[in-house]
Amino acid sequence: MRNFGYFEEDYTVSISEKGLWRRIISYVRPFIIPFSGAVLLSLFVTASTLALPWIMQRAIDLFITNPEKTFDVRIDGLGLYGLAYAGLICINFIAAFSQVLLLEWIGQSIMQRLRQDLFSHLLQIHLPFFTKHPVGRLVTRLTNDVQNMHEMFTSIMVTLFNDLLRMVGILVLLIYMNLHLGLLLFVFVPLAAAITISFSRLARVQFRSIRKQLSKLNAFIQETVSGVYLVQLFNRSRDMNRQFAELNDGYLERTLRQIRLFGTFMPLTELMSTMAVAVILWYGGGEIIQKELSLGELVAFLSYMRLFFQPLREISQKYSIVQSALASAERIFNLLDTKDHEQKSPALPDPEKSFNGALTFADVNFSYNSQQQILHQISFSVEQGETVAIVGPTGSGKSTIINLMLRFYEPTSGVISLAGHPLHSLSPHILRREIGVVMQETLILQDTLLNNIALDTGKNEKQVQDLLEQSQLGAFIERLPDGLQTQIGEGGQTMSTGEKQLLAIARVLCREPSFLVLDEASSAIDSQTEKLLEQTLEYCFNKKSVLIIAHRLSTVQRADRIIVLEKGRIREQGSHSQLLELGGIYSRLVALDFE
Amino acid sequence: MLGPIYAKHRLRIGLGLVALLGVNFLQLTIPKILKTGIDGLSDNSISQRELLQLALLICAIGILATILRFCWRYLVIGFSRHLERDLRKRIFTHIMTMDGAFFTKYSTGSIMAHGANDLSAVQMACGMGLVAAVDALVMSLAAIFFMFHIHAKLTLFALLPMPVLAIATRILSKRLHQQFDRVQEQFSLMTEFARSSISSIRLLKAYTLETSQTKRFEKLGMDYVHSSIRVAIIQGLLFPVATLVGSSGMLMVLYFGGKLVIKEAISMGDFVAFITYLNMLIWPMMAIGWVTNLVQKGITSLKRIHRLLHSRSHLPGGIAGKKPDSPTFTLQNLNFSYPGSERIILSGFNLQLLPGILGITGPTGCGKTTFCQIIARMFPVADQTLLVGGQDINTFPPQSIQNEISYVGQEPLLFSSTLAENIAFGSPDAEMEAIIRAAKAAAVHDEIMALPDGYDSRTGEKGVTLSGGQRQRVALARALICNRPVLIMDDCLAAVDTATEQQILHNIADWMHGKVVIWVSQRVKQLALADRILVIRNGKIDGLGSYAELKTDNDFFRDIVRRQRLQEPLPENSHA
Repeated sequence: MRNFGYFEEDYTVSISEKGLWRRIISYVRPFIIPFSGAVLLSLFVTASTLALPWIMQRAIDLFITNPEKTFDVRIDGLGLYGLAYAGLICINFIAAFSQVLLLEWIGQSIMQRLRQDLFSHLLQIHLPFFTKHPVGRLVTRLTNDVQNMHEMFTSIMVTLFNDLLRMVGILVLLIYMNLHLGLLLFVFVPLAAAITISFSRLARVQFRSIRKQLSKLNAFIQETVSGVYLVQLFNRSRDMNRQFAELNDGYLERTLRQIRLFGTFMPLTELMSTMAVAVILWYGGGEIIQKELSLGELVAFLSYMRLFFQPLREISQKYSIVQSALASAERIFNLLDTKDHEQKSPALPDPEKSFNGALTFADVNFSYNSQQQILHQISFSVEQGETVAIVGPTGSGKSTIINLMLRFYEPTSGVISLAGHPLHSLSPHILRREIGVVMQETLILQDTLLNNIALDTGKNEKQVQDLLEQSQLGAFIERLPDGLQTQIGEGGQTMSTGEKQLLAIARVLCREPSFLVLDEASSAIDSQTEKLLEQTLEYCFNKKSVLIIAHRLSTVQRADRIIVLEKGRIREQGSHSQLLELGGIYSRLVALDFE
Repeated sequence: MLGPIYAKHRLRIGLGLVALLGVNFLQLTIPKILKTGIDGLSDNSISQRELLQLALLICAIGILATILRFCWRYLVIGFSRHLERDLRKRIFTHIMTMDGAFFTKYSTGSIMAHGANDLSAVQMACGMGLVAAVDALVMSLAAIFFMFHIHAKLTLFALLPMPVLAIATRILSKRLHQQFDRVQEQFSLMTEFARSSISSIRLLKAYTLETSQTKRFEKLGMDYVHSSIRVAIIQGLLFPVATLVGSSGMLMVLYFGGKLVIKEAISMGDFVAFITYLNMLIWPMMAIGWVTNLVQKGITSLKRIHRLLHSRSHLPGGIAGKKPDSPTFTLQNLNFSYPGSERIILSGFNLQLLPGILGITGPTGCGKTTFCQIIARMFPVADQTLLVGGQDINTFPPQSIQNEISYVGQEPLLFSSTLAENIAFGSPDAEMEAIIRAAKAAAVHDEIMALPDGYDSRTGEKGVTLSGGQRQRVALARALICNRPVLIMDDCLAAVDTATEQQILHNIADWMHGKVVIWVSQRVKQLALADRILVIRNGKIDGLGSYAELKTDNDFFRDIVRRQRLQEPLPENSHA
């Protein structure tokens, strides 16, 4: 599999990649009707733009410079053409405006779909994927890369289409009006094309080198500013200023190079258009003398030439946008093609499958990578209504047990079953509804407390309130300013570690799981919250099957059974009194606590 | 503020503007030549030869204009880049002298964002903005002058729609900026949502929130789409309005000008020249609206940069050259709040810091880190509350205090250079042996040697990836090598496993001997090594004493000792 984005800086795609275009088009397909509408509007815009100089020419030849007609006929005719001119201006305005809007709407809708597809795809991918791919890079796919592609749908598809259509239209018209002069001006086309293409290439190279230097410069500033205290403390300001000046000057040098390039190219297009005017005056004038061309046509030629050179600059800039959009598209589709989805179990469990809250681990082995085994032959069971505590030092494999229970990872060997159903026969979705977990970290959504507790269960305020009262959590809500309607998360009420854990427990209870897993908070909690937490735990222990990773002996002592885990192996297992009698590790731990 | 920079480049700007005016002048002569030709054609008074001469003249003017155009672009826009460079340099050197209070007000992110956006706004205003302003002014005045010269009344008719364009672009581009800011905001909301969702993917999955989270994301996306479309409405109006106004002017010329030609008040050549002048006017009219916005944004940005450059360090400068006699600290009823904030972070600290190890612990947010930072002279304190070697700290230049201190923070920040350079950051002339000795003491030597390039391995974006624990140990080595009399370690080994931490503490015992050592840790067991332990809670001293004393006398300390027992290596093993 390709490594996404490692080469973002220097990465280019050749436009001819068919598969890529096919997939882009498949996203456009649902919008085929509005898209055709936009193309139609494009025709209107081009037609009205090109018709304006033509009306001008007709008016000049038929009325303004036509001494054969009477004065009144000439004035009336001019008025009529003026009206037609005005009408076309309005059509042009309306068509151009609606086209921009239509395309923006299409582009945004496509991007929204792409973003949604990508986001929901990402959430379906199994967990090990996320340890390999930095969050920042995945977010870039969702935001910046999608944004890049949007550019292509709006500015490119339209402008390119409009511009090319217009240029072709102008050439056809010119040749129709006067074959020789038209063909003569045709000479400018390959010249313009050559200049535009070579400029786009050069501009892209320079643009990239500027961007690279800028990101170097910014990275340096970022690093130095965040480490400014180190620089001051270690007396290195002078060196840092010198390094900075070097990068800063390098950036200036590159931008100046770019200015030189633009300074050459931009005036060249102007020069071409001036040359075209000269050619029209010289050759067209000659044709007029020989009565091959009318004065009105000469004026029209001049206007069309101006219209012809306008889009040239745009086209050269659009070229690089297409390049970067395609590179983004490829990265996005690559990510969408990741097949690391969580395994959906082949047969969905029938809805009558009952879960009584019993859990067994049978000879479970596990390693994250083949080098180091994390769990060795783990076997234990939690009976219905029982509370089992796991005790062990950091790194003994406690959280790995949770990871396996939730099927974030699959055991290397051995079977875990819930209420007699092996986990691999259950879909992760059903499994995670039956096993409620309270982890050390808590996810807080920027929403009301009520919505944070109810999540997707659809419970209303009354139901949540009742549930909280029952589980001794009522006091937790009373302490907050607006009760269940308190806004939490960014910009709302902040919560302490203890409160977050209470929220997590409330959230889990609300889902009415048949089995509870608790990872007790290991950091210090204020005494008031501590008391609440203990009451709630008491409630849980009485009502549910619970597996708790304990950090306090007082919690452990209330468990029905205790498992002592070390380096991925179960060292001791039994009730508090049994283990004390055994006189092993656990009894020593307890003794230490009372010393 | 920009005065000196302008003065420095005055020749460049002057020449650039002269070139620009030259281009304008040349551009205006082309319609005149066209007029001569067309008038000649319409009354059959011109020969092929004369036509060719006129055409060649136009070509010559075109070539000259091209050269001059290159000149002004290079000179004036180049100037704006020079200006950008000079300003960036001033900002950078200024920031490097700021104290901690400045950085609580300006985060790195905001410095970066404002720096980048404001600089480019100023650069745009002084480069393209300047050109467009001069260009628009000269071109429009000249074009109008020539048009008046042809026919005054027709000029008025032709110009009738123009103010609409200037006003419309002004209003629309202002709206555009506002809407655009909103789109940016929504974009960052979306980004932040995606980021937080993906970083807590484990929890999302545990609560089966995939679907509901996707719905939330969809809503954010839709909001973004709506704002973007609102931007598109404005943006979509801008160009068609310009075309509309330009064409309306042309309509006026066609109808009224046409009438004038019929009435023979003006010649056909005048008519064509008039149209050409009118075409020249459209761009300056659009530019007026655009330029005013550009300049306005530039000025706002310049003001922000000005504020940044004029913020002063809150640390008093002290008496130049004064150095403390001994590195002992005395805290006399020290209170602390961040400058500009009401919240009291530390209150009523009375304490002496003498050679020996002072351990510090307490719940998160209690003020431990602030305490370390005050000692390390990052924040200002009131007179006579903190003494160094018996004298008020405010009488010393900050650098002379900082020269006494080695500080290792929680976040092990390494610079993008080699590991050897990182370790020798505080003493760039250190011998390789000294570097290795420090790395060995910080128990990171073996791991460095295991890297393909050893001490020459580069850290940072394109270099080796070190684990959090490895970085913390490199940062510790960097502090050790300086061998300064005060060593502050603020929870600097939190990502290192307990066994290695024990090892390091053993290794650095010699380095710490006779120094004032402040050592913040959450791991109580290791604190037993300290001579004294300070417990801070809610910004106050909650307890001060030996490990044994605190375990009996201090509720908080006793509680965490118990809590952490279950996370430590099991008793059987620790004796083994």
